[in-house]
Amino acid sequence: MTTPALRPAASVPLAGPPNAHLVKIRDLIYQVAGIFQPDNKLRFLEDRCQRRMKEVGVATFRDYYDCLTVKPIRQAELVSLLNEITIGETCFFRNQAQLEALRKIVLPKVLEAKGKLPLRHLRLWSAGCSTGEEPYTLSMILLEESVGLLKGWTFEILATDLNERSLVHCKQGAYGDYSTRNLTPFYQQKYFVPAGNQLQVSPRLKECVNFSRVNLFDDARVAFMKSMDIIFCCNVLIYFDVVSKRRVIQHFYNNLLPHGYLFLGHSESLYGICDDFRLVHFPSATGYVKAERQIAKR
Amino acid sequence: MPTTTAKEFLLANLNKIEQIPSIPAVVAPLLHYLEQPIDQLDVQKVVDLLAQDKSLTAQALHLANSPLFGHWKKIDSLKGTVVALGFQRLREIVVSCSVVKLIPLGTTQLDPVVFWEHSLGCALICRHFARKINFPQPEKAYLGGLLHDLGIIVNFWIIPKEFGTTFETARNEQIPLHEAELRVFGMTHCDSGRILAERWDLTPDLVNVVTYHHDPAAAPDHKSLVALVNLSDLLCRIGGIGHGYSEMRQVSLLDEPAFSVLIQECPALKQFDWARFTFELEGYLDEVRSLVRHLYGTA
Repeated sequence: MTTPALRPAASVPLAGPPNAHLVKIRDLIYQVAGIFQPDNKLRFLEDRCQRRMKEVGVATFRDYYDCLTVKPIRQAELVSLLNEITIGETCFFRNQAQLEALRKIVLPKVLEAKGKLPLRHLRLWSAGCSTGEEPYTLSMILLEESVGLLKGWTFEILATDLNERSLVHCKQGAYGDYSTRNLTPFYQQKYFVPAGNQLQVSPRLKECVNFSRVNLFDDARVAFMKSMDIIFCCNVLIYFDVVSKRRVIQHFYNNLLPHGYLFLGHSESLYGICDDFRLVHFPSATGYVKAERQIAKR
Repeated sequence: MPTTTAKEFLLANLNKIEQIPSIPAVVAPLLHYLEQPIDQLDVQKVVDLLAQDKSLTAQALHLANSPLFGHWKKIDSLKGTVVALGFQRLREIVVSCSVVKLIPLGTTQLDPVVFWEHSLGCALICRHFARKINFPQPEKAYLGGLLHDLGIIVNFWIIPKEFGTTFETARNEQIPLHEAELRVFGMTHCDSGRILAERWDLTPDLVNVVTYHHDPAAAPDHKSLVALVNLSDLLCRIGGIGHGYSEMRQVSLLDEPAFSVLIQECPALKQFDWARFTFELEGYLDEVRSLVRHLYGTA
């Protein structure tokens, strides 16, 4: 059963000009966390702010803006607000445009870059995999391509998270309606088995993903994640301060092979964080490549 | 079809350009009047000129009340529009209403709603983009974006069968339309667009946008405006308001020739937040679709 609080953001037009402090909150979130709410999602942001405002006991957006900027609770409150904004987003096949770009554009480019190498093997990393929907989704896509584009190639998906309970959930691999809402009957039947009122990931799918606990602040551990072709790190870096974010991004840069790709959340940006990555556009999606590779191409 | 045949065919059928519905008679005089220095402009003169076309006036008022044209307080007169929004915005509104019905509903080769969503979306992005990078001539950015694909309208009316074939090729291969046109026709909608732009007596900068928006470096003049429209057009097509299909490719905007052209005029582009700009586009889509549906009376 769908939990109303968890429904993804809908585009609802505003009845009048946006509240100036709501816009300031939107801009603050972008500046500090790197996640952007476009104008057609301001109603959603307004709703989420109002939930938090009730919790902290303030009545106006202006006062709530102070909670996020000058009051002692500001850091904790920003985390709470980010949780409200991103809650309910994790599910299988969450970002269809991003996955379409992976399948039709990115994978062919990566294969072309690696084509002359003797080892025909791909490494993908789901950094901050939460309850596992993302790495299992990536597995399904690569398994589907294994008879076509990826014929003759092997792959591994490394999925890491800080939260032990999330990792237990990943390894168990049982998911309810909400999480599986984007699964077509094709994928449900091929990669899942019914388990009561849930769907259980099939053994074939499970064996493609290697789950482990990694703290992205642990430099030595993160540096170990070498030779990656593609890294997904969606809605994780938004919780990091600028210094930490820069450090993690620098690690990702070193983790990735020269042709590598970095994917973030749908409305997440690296602007102001790192010039070593260059933004690239796909149909209705964005990603990042190593900047020096773009320069070398000119 | 040999690459020169379509070009020759188009040139030979130029008389069919008469078939293209005309834009309201007030538009050309209005555009030329508004080229004058602002202190020489008379509000009442503009209002009286436009008031001659009641249908246009009604459509214009609807657009004037859209948040995309920047105003939340209700406007119920042309004079109110000029006073509240200024001449530039009025010009944008009038031209938008004028061109939108050039393609009738119910055609098979070209979906007018898709076409105008793209053109109106591009217009808004051009305006937004120009403001963000301190572009020296922002007042033409909107019109450049709105009118850049006039050539597609020409091809639709004059060579509909060939146009349909090219469009299907582009859609099936998921490539840019102008690349399909070059392959099938040996020319692009830029060439056809120039003919119509000159016929409508558009100002030289807009003629250049129509003619060179896929090759800004080749523009003899107004290069930076043409480059601005090129990048905005690209962002639209890759961002979901293109020609009704996805161009399945990776785009690196900093590697586009138009970027090199535009950055010479607008150094602010060096620090431009492309990611945020891309996300902001999403905010326009719903309103663009709503506006176009209204203009076609299908809301």
